[in-house]
Amino acid sequence: MDSLVAQYSRPAFSNEGYQEQEQQELADVAPPLSLKFALPPVAQQAAWLRAMTDDHSNPEVPIKIAHGTTTLAFRFQGGIIVATDSRATAGNWIASQTVKKVIEINSCLLGTMAGGAADCQYWLAYLGMQCRLHELRHKKRISVAAASKILANLVYSYKGMGLSMGTMCAGVTPQEGPALYYIDSDGTRLSGNLFCVGSGQTFAYGVLDAEYSYDLSEEDALELGRRSILAATHRDAFSGGYINLYHVKEDGWVKHGFNDTNPIFWKTKLEKGEFSNVTADLE
Amino acid sequence: MSSPFSINGGACVAMVGKDCVAIACDLRLGLQALTVSNNFPKIFNYGDVYLGLTGLATDVSTVAETMRYKVNMYRLREERQISPQTMANLVSSSLYERRFGPWFVSPVIAGINHTTGKPFICGFDSIGCIDFAKDFIVSGTASDQLFGTCEGLWEPDLGPEDLFETVSQALLNAVDRDALSGWGAHVYIIEKDKVTKRLLKGRQD
Amino acid sequence: MASMYSMPSTTPGYSFPSTHPMTASGPRQHAGFYPYTDNGGSTLGISGKDFTIMAGDTRSTSGYNINTRYEPKLFKIGGDGPKNEGATIVLSVVGFAADGHALKERLDTVAKMYKYQHGKPISVAACAQRLSHILYDKRFFPFYVHAILGGLDENGVGALYSYDPVGSYEREQCRAAGAASSLIMPFLDNQVNFKNQYIPGSGEGHALQQRMPEPLPRHEVEEIVQDAFTSAVERHIEVGDGLQMFVITSNGIEEIYKDLKKD
Repeated sequence: MDSLVAQYSRPAFSNEGYQEQEQQELADVAPPLSLKFALPPVAQQAAWLRAMTDDHSNPEVPIKIAHGTTTLAFRFQGGIIVATDSRATAGNWIASQTVKKVIEINSCLLGTMAGGAADCQYWLAYLGMQCRLHELRHKKRISVAAASKILANLVYSYKGMGLSMGTMCAGVTPQEGPALYYIDSDGTRLSGNLFCVGSGQTFAYGVLDAEYSYDLSEEDALELGRRSILAATHRDAFSGGYINLYHVKEDGWVKHGFNDTNPIFWKTKLEKGEFSNVTADLE
Repeated sequence: MSSPFSINGGACVAMVGKDCVAIACDLRLGLQALTVSNNFPKIFNYGDVYLGLTGLATDVSTVAETMRYKVNMYRLREERQISPQTMANLVSSSLYERRFGPWFVSPVIAGINHTTGKPFICGFDSIGCIDFAKDFIVSGTASDQLFGTCEGLWEPDLGPEDLFETVSQALLNAVDRDALSGWGAHVYIIEKDKVTKRLLKGRQD
Repeated sequence: MASMYSMPSTTPGYSFPSTHPMTASGPRQHAGFYPYTDNGGSTLGISGKDFTIMAGDTRSTSGYNINTRYEPKLFKIGGDGPKNEGATIVLSVVGFAADGHALKERLDTVAKMYKYQHGKPISVAACAQRLSHILYDKRFFPFYVHAILGGLDENGVGALYSYDPVGSYEREQCRAAGAASSLIMPFLDNQVNFKNQYIPGSGEGHALQQRMPEPLPRHEVEEIVQDAFTSAVERHIEVGDGLQMFVITSNGIEEIYKDLKKD
């Protein structure tokens, strides 16, 4: 009886959020976890996996999983800018210079990739699936808050198993406006105006913090995203390649190119006189 | 990743051509992932001989200076320039003196012997074993990559201009696949009567 | 020497519970269970305008020993009968051969089931995504392999996908994998994607124009593949004996075998 009363005495605006039943459904669609993935036949599975794949504690591991990244995203009056580099490294070896670290979850939601490439690709594709199912079930687009929480709960359920990801979810919805969340494999989920993730994050923060303002024009915001990644690719050995730029607006995201850093760097140096540390003449 | 040889990063390559030799190095000095300097050349000149040193940066500087002292003493005593071959043996024995606490460097020598007029290159391990090669010598954190590019691009009897192009392409493409090397390069083309030094514009990421 | 210096890191770390730092090498801590062997060798794939070439050496090693001089690393996927006739997709795997075979069997089964259920062969794009999921299914007990998948896309253009051991994948123009990948890949950057090449006379100094990559004709690609392997054989002990190439065109798959040095 209490629940019946509660159901009908709810204020009108509560429809915007999620009902208990809806929340339950969101939790239920996650697959039965322990059965899905093959596990090594040893007692200490995480420790075994670490011995095989974690090149931080032992550089001689047999299986090297790609790492190293600079990714950033920030909110401003015109939406959200998302920018990444494109380098994948295994140890000191540059495995690829053309990685797509911005993952298009759907036409309105973007995810970024830092940490294990496979973990990010797989689970953000899975998130895309969950977001689509939500749309079909509820006849409305999922909020960024809910989408990011699906991912956060998912990685939390695998905590200690060795997933490695530091990702940002960026999207614009009518309820929330531009919304930005940071999620990592420890289970952290934060909302914020501005995030940089990866081995080059400090360098990107340096440029971004200095020039950032919420009232930036669209053009200036895109340039700031590009310039921050450029700074990081220059100083961080494990970042580089191409600059991947996106702008998320209310009616979906717009791609602003996948451009080689090399010409951009020399243009910035020669035309604006920045990067004067780089030598251009002998002695 | 934590070996003293790959803390600072760097790459060096030497090649033989027809009556000429080339030696080239990158310019990066880093501390693991952080790039500290974009202007740290790893090739040092001792009269007719050029010595390339990769490895731990502090040892690169120290060995380069120690060798400068030794070569100066040689020149004062002998009243002549040191030849590449003699230099090779000097480097080798100097490195072996530190057999049980080595300098963390991988040296490369290039030069033309002015008595015989023949090109000479050689490389060393960190305790002084000499590798006399007829084609090319590589060293540094991009050595695997350099082996690949050199083996694919090098051919016998290249003239000075072709040798410059070959050694430059070999180095640039190799360091672009190594996170710890790059950020520009120096190339020396050594002929009997002249040496040309060039700065290469490389990727700055 | 390996753990003399620890690496300060700001990257998102593994979510492993941080217990004692590892001192000995990995395998020794789990002495009872080291299921992997590195069987050496190298593979290579290059895609063109209307073809894809997949290549691999045929040597199989463990340590300094050579198990056999002819163990193909290239597998046709989704054809008919024991010889996989009529297949249009090729999988190459390098790393641990047993895992490679297991992976091949799984993918081949998937491709065949698809054909029986849908009455048409699986597309490379779909096959590529399935391969990614097969690899990720063993995220916590990985296949010790570097896979490359080659074929032709729906427009008849050469398609090439490369994978890490746990299934992250990307479509590329060219990719080398395995023991000599670090030797071959920079050479390919230069010769296939024209990296660090500039157009002569297009400007002075900084105005010089970069040479843009264009699809290479088949005979040039075949030459580059052979050069890459003869070079790798000279400098890597785990590569040699034979070079197997599969050329995938709209006419099917053509196999070419060339001897490599056996020393």
